[in-house]
Amino acid sequence: MQSQPSMIKRFKHSILVLAVMSTSMISCKKFLDVNENPNNPVNVPVEQLLPNVLVSSVNIEVIGLSNSPGSSGSLNQLGSVWAGYWSKATDGPSTPSLFRLEETYGVEAMANDRDGRPFWEDIYSILNNYRNIQTKAEESGDVLYSGIAKIMQGWHFMRLVDLYNNVPFDDALQGTVKTNPRFEPGEQVYEKSIDLITEGITDIKSANAFAKKPAADDVVFRGNMIQWIQFANTIKLRGLLRMSQLDKQAYINSEIAKINAEGSGFLGVHAAVNPGYISGTSGMQNPLWETYYRNAQGALTTTYNTIRPTEFLINEYKRLNDPRLELIYVPAKNSGTYAGVPLGSDDLQYSMDNTSPFRGPNENNNQPAGLFKSAVQASILMSSFESLFLQAEAAERGWISGSAKDLYESAIAASFSYIGTAAPASYFDQESVDLDQAPNRIARIIEQKWLALNTLSGFEAWSDYRRLGVPAIPQSLASPNMDPSYRPLRLTYRQSEISGNGDEVSKQGPINPFQSTVFWDK
Amino acid sequence: MRKRIWMMFCLVCQVVAALAQDAPLTGQLLDSETGSPLAKATLQYVNKNIRTVTGEDGQFSIAYYPGEVLMITHTGYKPHQMVVRKGQPFLRLSLDPNPKELTEVVVTGALGLRRAAREQATSSKVLNTAAINQGKPVNPILGLASKVAGLRINMFDSKVDPDVQINLRGIRSHSGSNAPLYVVDGVPVPAINRINPNDIESINVLKGANAAAVYGSEGVNGVLIITTKKGRVGQQQLRYSNTTMFESVSRLPEQQDRFGNGLNGVYNPTQYQSWGPEYDGSMKPVGVVLPDGSQWELPYSAVKDGRRDFFETGITTQNDISLSGGDAVSTYFLSLQDVITKGIIDGDKNRRTGVRLNASRKFGKLKTGFTVNYVFNKNDVTPSEPWSTVYRLPANLPLKEVQDWRNTPYANPNFWFSTNQPNPYFNVDNQRNLTKQQTLNASLQLEYPVTRWLDLIYRAGLYNRVENIHNTVGKFSYTTAGRTDIAGSVSDGSANFTRLNSDLMLNFHKKIGRFTNRLILGNNLRADDTKEINISASALVVPDLFNPGNRTGQLGGSSSVTQYRQTAIFGEFTTGFDDYLFLTLTGRNEWVSVLNPDANSYFYPGAGLSFIFSEAIPAIRQSKIISYGKLYTSLNRTGNVSGIAPYALNNTYSQTNGFPFGTLPGFSLGTTYPNFNMKPEFVNSFEVGTQVGLFDNRLKAELTYAHSMSSDGIVETEIPGSTGYSAALVNAFKVANDIVEVDISGDIIRNRKLRWNLGATLYHMKNEVKEIYGELDALFTFRQNYVIVGQPYNTFMFRDYRRDDMGRIIVDATTGNPVGTNELYIAGTGTPPWQLGFHTSLDVGNFHLGAQFDWRMGAIMYSEAANRMISDGTSPLTVKYNRQPFIIPNSSIETADGKYVENTSVYTAGDRNYFANFVAPVQSNYAVPADFFKLRELVISYNLPSKFLGKQGVLKDASISLVGRNLFSIWHSKNIYNDPEFVYAGGSSEGYLSWRHLPPTRMVGFSINLGL
Repeated sequence: MQSQPSMIKRFKHSILVLAVMSTSMISCKKFLDVNENPNNPVNVPVEQLLPNVLVSSVNIEVIGLSNSPGSSGSLNQLGSVWAGYWSKATDGPSTPSLFRLEETYGVEAMANDRDGRPFWEDIYSILNNYRNIQTKAEESGDVLYSGIAKIMQGWHFMRLVDLYNNVPFDDALQGTVKTNPRFEPGEQVYEKSIDLITEGITDIKSANAFAKKPAADDVVFRGNMIQWIQFANTIKLRGLLRMSQLDKQAYINSEIAKINAEGSGFLGVHAAVNPGYISGTSGMQNPLWETYYRNAQGALTTTYNTIRPTEFLINEYKRLNDPRLELIYVPAKNSGTYAGVPLGSDDLQYSMDNTSPFRGPNENNNQPAGLFKSAVQASILMSSFESLFLQAEAAERGWISGSAKDLYESAIAASFSYIGTAAPASYFDQESVDLDQAPNRIARIIEQKWLALNTLSGFEAWSDYRRLGVPAIPQSLASPNMDPSYRPLRLTYRQSEISGNGDEVSKQGPINPFQSTVFWDK
Repeated sequence: MRKRIWMMFCLVCQVVAALAQDAPLTGQLLDSETGSPLAKATLQYVNKNIRTVTGEDGQFSIAYYPGEVLMITHTGYKPHQMVVRKGQPFLRLSLDPNPKELTEVVVTGALGLRRAAREQATSSKVLNTAAINQGKPVNPILGLASKVAGLRINMFDSKVDPDVQINLRGIRSHSGSNAPLYVVDGVPVPAINRINPNDIESINVLKGANAAAVYGSEGVNGVLIITTKKGRVGQQQLRYSNTTMFESVSRLPEQQDRFGNGLNGVYNPTQYQSWGPEYDGSMKPVGVVLPDGSQWELPYSAVKDGRRDFFETGITTQNDISLSGGDAVSTYFLSLQDVITKGIIDGDKNRRTGVRLNASRKFGKLKTGFTVNYVFNKNDVTPSEPWSTVYRLPANLPLKEVQDWRNTPYANPNFWFSTNQPNPYFNVDNQRNLTKQQTLNASLQLEYPVTRWLDLIYRAGLYNRVENIHNTVGKFSYTTAGRTDIAGSVSDGSANFTRLNSDLMLNFHKKIGRFTNRLILGNNLRADDTKEINISASALVVPDLFNPGNRTGQLGGSSSVTQYRQTAIFGEFTTGFDDYLFLTLTGRNEWVSVLNPDANSYFYPGAGLSFIFSEAIPAIRQSKIISYGKLYTSLNRTGNVSGIAPYALNNTYSQTNGFPFGTLPGFSLGTTYPNFNMKPEFVNSFEVGTQVGLFDNRLKAELTYAHSMSSDGIVETEIPGSTGYSAALVNAFKVANDIVEVDISGDIIRNRKLRWNLGATLYHMKNEVKEIYGELDALFTFRQNYVIVGQPYNTFMFRDYRRDDMGRIIVDATTGNPVGTNELYIAGTGTPPWQLGFHTSLDVGNFHLGAQFDWRMGAIMYSEAANRMISDGTSPLTVKYNRQPFIIPNSSIETADGKYVENTSVYTAGDRNYFANFVAPVQSNYAVPADFFKLRELVISYNLPSKFLGKQGVLKDASISLVGRNLFSIWHSKNIYNDPEFVYAGGSSEGYLSWRHLPPTRMVGFSINLGL
């Protein structure tokens, strides 16, 4: 043992050193205070949030949120394949991969985390952005923003039901506060969505002169709140028409009465998104243009070179002597005639050169063509002619006043006008077009609606096909089952929801996507 | 090695005699096996009462008595006697380790302090420079492969400068790292892949979590203590070595050679898929008719080794020079290395040039040392994955003929036969990634003995990595229709990482009675900073000018910075009783910047016990059989925040969807639900083991069992999409590891002329995920890889057919095709639970032979390339039924709801539609056992005998070696795809072979090594 005094002296030394060390610890709080994010904001006002999520709302329709068609898909792609618009040249540059799941009815694989179709997650994520805007706007009293956010939530919740039937509504969008959101019946979610849209209209109407007013950040209507209300009424009408095959007339009547009482009427312009698209930069152009026509550098995309109309679609245009055909497509290179491809065919005769691609300005004497007008054209969320067709059907069903025939014809005329031509009177007089000569008036309205929505609103066309079976779309030749009634009727729940919310998913019972329908599909 | 040093020793002794005698005899004492200096050895003249003890660096100075016998002794070594000759003021001596006490080695342990291995309460293994460099690796981590039980090394690929995945003892963390911590000369660094392996003196693999207490939470995965070479007192030493290795593809995936390009059995000159008719040897047109009216024609038959011809012979040349020396107060070590690698893909190359200066000097009692290592690495590769095109092209394509795409019309993209698959050579030339990386790693160490029982140690380290990235795609405008022009792009980026690390330590050491005590108290500061900047243009104007100014469209780009700060105080107390029973207690309190500032402190303790029973128990001490025996156990709890990135506690907004559009901004909400109150994750680990030496330590064995349980694991878990978020950052993940390690090594023959050593390591790991988060029972990680409760961490769920209750594939009654191809099943783990390593060395005269084998078993793998090959008709699976309709074996048809009968009559078409849509997406068709046995390293070397070197006096020693790496490997017979060792994404992606993985290679070469 060392002598005690020496030990104590030594200890004093070390205490001194420790004291120095602890002094350094005091400045440690500042040393550690570096966790404020220098790269991204943690708080942003609503007017800087709204434009982004409105673009998401249209992007999930047109190209999907991941911006790579074929790998994650889009609602329009899903609809355009299953509603009989799109097929592929058998030797196209992306033939092996482009909408392979859709064309082979690979519904179950769409639920896979990998290479599936993440509509579930993407739509809830969009909803979450609207919910966030709603929360912020309600806190600050910005009712015009909360109104828009509610209307758009209604739109997207109905989309979810159209795809998956029973989905979480009340419990949804709460992060880890509710990690196992309870599913609610699709019908109930539809009704709640319609109520939410009604609330949104009420919010907008409650705005006083001091309310923060959307302007350029409203990339749909540029702050025109009457158009927002008309759009909201039209979304509700669309939702009610979905339920046409159900025994719900009393409910429908009461909801129509609310729309009538509100008084602003229905959408008369296109609900179209344009954040100020810029030509020449990838990701800043109109997404339909950039994906299905020409990329930022003006080169034809591989998708353009691959995608072709179905033979069925071409034949329908021809049957009706429809001049829109020539504005939407170009003749096949080899034959000089308009030719499509039966969906799912791998027959070599349907080569790129033997079939008709889309027409764009370059193929149209540099004039805007049917679907492709310019790289900065607005993206259609809901067209004015879809609104008119919805009104025509509602009038035909006697739900709203007005002449179904007039609405039907103005819808067709609006479609022609969008495509870039005038509908000749002779067109309407044809037995195959005239509503009064139709064996089934509803079917005829839907038939024309189907032609008008080609490539613009494929999802709506597929929903009409599910609801009414119009038109008689041929089965994909790549269907795994040759029974002609074998068609996808809905999607199955995603793997990610099954993993994390399995109990709720299993409560929805066994689902066969070729037999189980969503609630309105009777 | 030992022979050589003995030889040098003899030479030195002869020279000694010729020199003067007045000055004292000085010199340095080394370990004859490792070449490391031996401190505290005693030198004594047998007939005089004169003695001295060697210093830290093995240096000594003793009165000079020519003709007298000097006796040198050191614990753990054979005593050595020598006659002092006339002549030489400096003597370099070496001692042979005494096998009786071999396991008594002193190792560089935690904190860079030299300590007796016997104290260590965890399993560890020291590999010296010879063992690491046996296979002449460029990346030092590869030199460890299969040499340490519990350590698993996986190569990513056969590309130049491949990434390497390293894992010690299973998986503890989901979001954080599972790689061990690298500590170079006492300073923790993020990577060691740029270190010249020849600069490494030794690597001590500390497997337990014990070191975490002193190194911080990253030590929870074990620590690799890397000690670089230092200069030695005495003569200057100049060494030169050259290693040249040739690399060639050893094995390609199996592919069919019967059917060529076309669809549905019909030949198509512009189709790349191999669904055409059977090869018949006739001349067939390929591609389109060229503008001059001609057309490419090829014999319609498979080209022998056609796809193999795509690969070049890779060459790696390493040139090393090192210079070292020192005197009584200072040492230095200077090394230069240049490694040039030419890859197996045309145009891929890498060059690494590094310099290291390690030096030390004593100023009185103050010992100072510094190390500086600067490495410049230039990597020039194609990101176009040309091989993934090659294996999809038909077998009748002579690839070499299309290499010169600029001058060969049908090889030019304008007229290339397929619009779907590019000419791989064109993409190789047109898409280039150039990365220049500079790594600077410097450290400074000060050590001052305040008193006899207190040392003050300060250590500062800097690690700086700067990367300059220049990625380009050339512009190409087609003159032919139907093809999308390549706009050309350029991306210029820089990534900067800086780490400053500071350790201040008080080392108290005092022997009190029969107790040897040591207490280390320390403070650690760590600052990590990153900055990444990237600007890009996605369309070029002037071809071949790769500057973002030369663009159309908007300038792309981003910039981000992150900061991480950490401070800690730590302590380690060790007490040893009679040098056979040691208790170590550790504790560390850490404060980190990435947690909630009000709760950013956490403490973790540890305890270890080591018992040398061979000394404590007299009966064993007397034993002729047991020469050494140790029992050890330890218990640790370690906190870890490596899974929490800076700024992860708050959700943020970012501009997506193309925003801003001009003056219009647009933000979207992050998709990860934040958690401001994240806590560190904790790992509780327990280890028990024994180490024995038998028969004079001719046979050594170590047996270890380790258990670890991670709780509150940090996981960015997938949460149901209906919550509005795709993920949430939570503390929930729980995983348990049970590990058994065996390490046996023995000298089968050991005599003066011949030594044959044989050794084996065995590693068995049982890993089980106990909890992910809440109700979540499976977490998707990537591809088919999932984390599943109740399964090992890295588990695959593959797609299979819908089957009836008898396991038969249910097929459609009309088409004969399976009705369901999307039934996920748990296929197994991709991480091998069993791993064996074998090594042998044989020394006969001047010849040395060394070999290292690696054997892994029990895992499953699948190859995404198989999917593509099946879809495209190049897989051998597609010709099993000769492309004719057939009845799917073991299939059934549903007759009524839930009733199935065997299918005996419905044929599937067996065509492209069947294979592409019903075979290719179903991984169960190509999931195979990942077992393999591999000869990793084989070296034969020859030391030139001294008589050849003669008396020229310039060249002191010389050796030449033949080296082979991965000379052969045996895979499971069902594996016709790729090397099961390859990993894809790091973390734990074993078992997943991407569509982009290159085939494995074999390397052979030679090495010369000269001492001047």
